[in-house]
Amino acid sequence: MTAVTGEAPATGSGVLGQPLDSREDPQLLRGEATYVADIDLPGTAHMAILGSPVAHARILSIETKAAEQLPGVLKVATAADFTDVMPLPCIWIPGGVESHFPPHPYGLPGARPVLTGDTVRHVGDPIAVVVAETPRQATAALAAISVEYEPLPVVTRADEALAEGAPQLHEAVPGNLNAYWTCGDKDRTDAAIAAAEVTVELDLVNQRTINSPIEPRGAVGDYNPVTGEYTLYATTQGPHNHRFLLSALVLGIPFNKLRVIAPTVGGSFGTKGYLYPDMPLVLLLSKALGRPVKWVDTRTGLMNSTVQGRDHRQHVTLAGTRDGRITAVRCTSYANLGAYPSTIGPGVATALMGRSISGMYDIDAAFCEVYAAFTNTVPLGAQRGSGRAEAAFLMERLVDRYAGEIGMDPAAVRRKNLVPKEKFPYDNGLGWTYDSGDYRLNFDKAVELSGYADMPARKAEARTRGKRLGVGLATYVAICGVGPSTRMSQEGMLGGTWESANIRVHPTGEVTVIVGSASTGQSHGTVFAQVAADELGIDPDTVQVLEGDTQKAPYGQGTYGSRSYSMAAPAVALTARKIKSKLIRAGAVFLGIPEDKVVYAGGGVHEEGNEQNAKTFAELAMSMWYGWGLPAEIEPALDETTHFDPPEFNYPFGTHVAVVEIDELTGETEVVAYTAVDDAGHIGNPKIVLGQIEGSITHGLGQALMEAAVYDEQGLLISSDLTTYALPRAADVPFFTLDKTVTPSPNNPLGAKGAGEIATVPPAAAVVNAVVDALADLGVQHIDMPLTPEKVWRRLRGEAQ
Amino acid sequence: MNGRPEQFSAQPNELLVERLRDGLGLTGTKVGCDTGQCGTCVVRLDGRSVKSCLVLTASAAGGEVATIEGETTRGGELSGLQEALRQEHGTQCGFCTPGMVMALGELVENTADREAPTEPEIREWLTGNLCRCTGYHSVVRGVQRACATARSAAGQEV
Repeated sequence: MTAVTGEAPATGSGVLGQPLDSREDPQLLRGEATYVADIDLPGTAHMAILGSPVAHARILSIETKAAEQLPGVLKVATAADFTDVMPLPCIWIPGGVESHFPPHPYGLPGARPVLTGDTVRHVGDPIAVVVAETPRQATAALAAISVEYEPLPVVTRADEALAEGAPQLHEAVPGNLNAYWTCGDKDRTDAAIAAAEVTVELDLVNQRTINSPIEPRGAVGDYNPVTGEYTLYATTQGPHNHRFLLSALVLGIPFNKLRVIAPTVGGSFGTKGYLYPDMPLVLLLSKALGRPVKWVDTRTGLMNSTVQGRDHRQHVTLAGTRDGRITAVRCTSYANLGAYPSTIGPGVATALMGRSISGMYDIDAAFCEVYAAFTNTVPLGAQRGSGRAEAAFLMERLVDRYAGEIGMDPAAVRRKNLVPKEKFPYDNGLGWTYDSGDYRLNFDKAVELSGYADMPARKAEARTRGKRLGVGLATYVAICGVGPSTRMSQEGMLGGTWESANIRVHPTGEVTVIVGSASTGQSHGTVFAQVAADELGIDPDTVQVLEGDTQKAPYGQGTYGSRSYSMAAPAVALTARKIKSKLIRAGAVFLGIPEDKVVYAGGGVHEEGNEQNAKTFAELAMSMWYGWGLPAEIEPALDETTHFDPPEFNYPFGTHVAVVEIDELTGETEVVAYTAVDDAGHIGNPKIVLGQIEGSITHGLGQALMEAAVYDEQGLLISSDLTTYALPRAADVPFFTLDKTVTPSPNNPLGAKGAGEIATVPPAAAVVNAVVDALADLGVQHIDMPLTPEKVWRRLRGEAQ
Repeated sequence: MNGRPEQFSAQPNELLVERLRDGLGLTGTKVGCDTGQCGTCVVRLDGRSVKSCLVLTASAAGGEVATIEGETTRGGELSGLQEALRQEHGTQCGFCTPGMVMALGELVENTADREAPTEPEIREWLTGNLCRCTGYHSVVRGVQRACATARSAAGQEV
């Protein structure tokens, strides 16, 4: 475990914390960045995947001959061609739960085969692939493959999948139950609820949503028969993870025979960290055909194959006193894992959600139980804010319901129950220990900034315009900084979750930083350069940042859960400190003075009290490169690496306030103002974080207002492209009012907390609270998302949900 | 094509975006949705922004097509709009960015000698382009900045 200090960031060159322009932007603005679909290796053949058109069926036969005869077709392959390939594994099995899934050869649960040969379990389940000279030829040939299906009954809801007599998805999983998982103290919670002055309950549907990065997924496989090495270019947010999973656990090839490269990746939000069948397929088919094989998904393909998010049905209860003190919270959740356990889906649906449900509140008793079930839908995975957004939603809905029940202002109830500053580190009783925070400061700032006190007057004014104005508050704590490897292993994560960085100082004084993380649009090149430059006291323009190629970068787990700045950046900072420390030791030799007289400043060293006896950073770099005159205990050159495994997670938090206006005639909900005050500890580049916060809020508003993955009773995904799945557009959102508080985390040397996706956590709760507030006089206590105009219009007319 | 003549035979069902990316290697134009919803494939045809996944190559015959590659030389100086978007960090993963630049160029150019577009007008103009990273805020600020600069250069009140 790496020792950490929790100190404020270094101020060597003062560039950390500055809103430097993103150095990635010019290339992106000129359209010159290379994404997977832009990669064109000589001799490339093109792959298309035949996905099941039905949600649940036994495959009786597959006939591929006609397809093989078509022009340009090089190969048609089915499951029978890949019998020696291991199933794709699931590596996050909720801690303490016995997995009932058939085992993978390495003792892991085997999630799914690369191609399905016997039973299809969701629309899009891959059955066969075609490789052809052109993408069009490959796609056309799919239609010539004949598959005979024997239909099986379908189930698409988790609670229904667990009912007696429900269709069974996997022989080895009786009753479709992957996991029954709990956290917190059941007896204590039940007792507190039984003894409470007031209890409120809600039945909530946290609907399934689709992350929808604008770049669909893609993969290019390139096998080199001379060296026996495989190269995979893929839309991945974790190239090292994919290398590990594919080489060791799927293909069974030596680790050093697989190179994974993440080129520019067009958004991910969780979905591109997962292992998908196309990745091993392009590699295996490249070897079989002796040519690079490329696959680029369609939008409909993405909707039917890339992991989806959220999808809980919950019964939740809150207990409290008449005067607004919350005494207990309890959640029973039915989580829909889809047809197979995705790479880390079961962990997302349980630990990430359940341990977060008490949010920013100091509650004596809390308990969460999750029934994670298989259904005939696309496998569940992470989605921007995953788990934490679902947790915040239930808690923040409950608090409003409770406030309504006891006739107290929702802001007053919240304020009364916030974890007090002096209680940190705070054990939330559900398994998380919050590192630091001043919740009241944060909350008060947001409430003040939003003009909360003026809302009654604004409501009255809105009514004169035929609008119902509502205001909704939501607070949250988001677990980030995944993570302490040992702690994650206790959660059931099969793998280390540390992060690494290498820094090499070149003879001419320029610096290269290489990290194991990989950007999906977070300007890593800019921010990590700031971190290194700040520690070393040099100009960030002289610092180059590399990542995303496993042949060049040190190991790392990648970008997910808003971890890069609180995991990879500390690794950069600690590595820079190693460089600095070595330069001080060597500087003493070069300057001919004792080490304690060496002053490191502005990247160079000088003698204390004698600035004439000095060496610049460039001079030091060259001297270290030559290595002349160095004593035996100081190695030449400047090349250091750090593996950062923090002692604990970090816990950003915040308060959001949504103001909506509902049109009395149409039921249309407009977000007219949105205030957010988030606390992500020390921030490396506020310009870049601002963009991520704004995008995150918009994403959360999307779930509240319009997004839903809709399956019909046959298990067909109705919302399978962007004409049927609504994403927020520019006219759907106003400018937001944003501010921050800064509570450094003691768990990393930058005092950083996760930032990228945290603002996706509360908006859905804030907006639904606002809409319910606007409709409260009609007796409305809850509305399920998404808040479409029709749904709201019906409630305006007194119809039941 | 970006001011240069290009001669080729197109299949009747060939889409303009396919010709640009696969035929001419102009990969700055992206494919995001296949249904004309996302706007990553926007180019300008005879000066008007169009979604090149909804245009048959044959129907563009004789027209002037401008793509993101024609906005600057490779590695070259950014246009006014691109520079404004850079300053406002109007991009994150960058996949939607070329389509946005091509769609917004028309709006910014037309503002120099007219009234500056309002925020709702900018947002309305942007509704044909989806972005999942930024939530559009920095893009809208970028357009406001670009319009102000364009008007200032044209001697208009900003």
